[in-house]
Amino acid sequence: MPELPELNPVIHGKLRLALLSLLVGVEEAEFTWLRAKTGSTDGNLGAQLAKLEEAGYVSVKKKFVQRKPQSLYRITDAGRQAFLEYVQALKQLLGGAIGD
Amino acid sequence: MTVNAEELELKDRLSLIETMIADGRRTTERWGWSFVFWGVAYYVAIAWTAYNQWPWAWLVTMMSAWLLCWAIIRGKQKNQPQRRPGTTIGRAISSIWIAMGVSMVLLFPALGLSGRFNWHIFVAIVAAMMGFANGASGMIIRWKAQIATAIVWWAATVAACFGSDGQCLVVLMTAIFLCQIVFGVYAMICETRMRKQEANHA
Repeated sequence: MPELPELNPVIHGKLRLALLSLLVGVEEAEFTWLRAKTGSTDGNLGAQLAKLEEAGYVSVKKKFVQRKPQSLYRITDAGRQAFLEYVQALKQLLGGAIGD
Repeated sequence: MTVNAEELELKDRLSLIETMIADGRRTTERWGWSFVFWGVAYYVAIAWTAYNQWPWAWLVTMMSAWLLCWAIIRGKQKNQPQRRPGTTIGRAISSIWIAMGVSMVLLFPALGLSGRFNWHIFVAIVAAMMGFANGASGMIIRWKAQIATAIVWWAATVAACFGSDGQCLVVLMTAIFLCQIVFGVYAMICETRMRKQEANHA
């Protein structure tokens, strides 16, 4: 019997997974856009993004636009790879259950 | 956690991924207005040229339209609560249009200055470039209506090589009407419908 894959715990968190799923489809996204899409609070969102950044899955670029701070997040190559592996593992775990 | 609960949680994760990816890419831009805007700008340039035969009427109108278009885009961006994130497809399409605009801005004044400007060649090149940009954009986003406008522009390219100057003008004005005004209004209607769907989804 083939061994079942383990799910990456960094990605498995619901908000972190939502963030990576959003970032995988765009080039880069502002903190405020991610907050609006996930409906999260500033504190929670910041903490989860920091965890993803720590794992090397997202990179952040901070700048000022018209004197207002702006944080732009982008998924890294490692993040994209980890996300794809997570989706593969998830599909494998679910097996025939997908589409039920 | 039971096997069933675990399976439900995993399905929930998969569903979350699908929803978020679709949501992130659902960034309907409003570009229909720009087709109508440029269509009107072309008509202004044609009317101005016909009125006083000033050779620089096209260049002045196009440069003014560029500035106005840029100001409108800036204004729209400022009014948005959050800047919409760019996608690779969005960048590809805007690159096509910018490159086409730069090509026209360089080519036509140069033809005018060198004294090699020819009305038929001008219309044929404009139509070919518009056909190229619309065709490429339509193929990237798989939008048949935009590919149809490209076909109209390509037909205009061929037609512009034949007939009299007056017939060539009719070809250009017809192509502008169909591909800029009619298509632009149609695009605006589609965008409004999509925005409503997005709002319902949210």
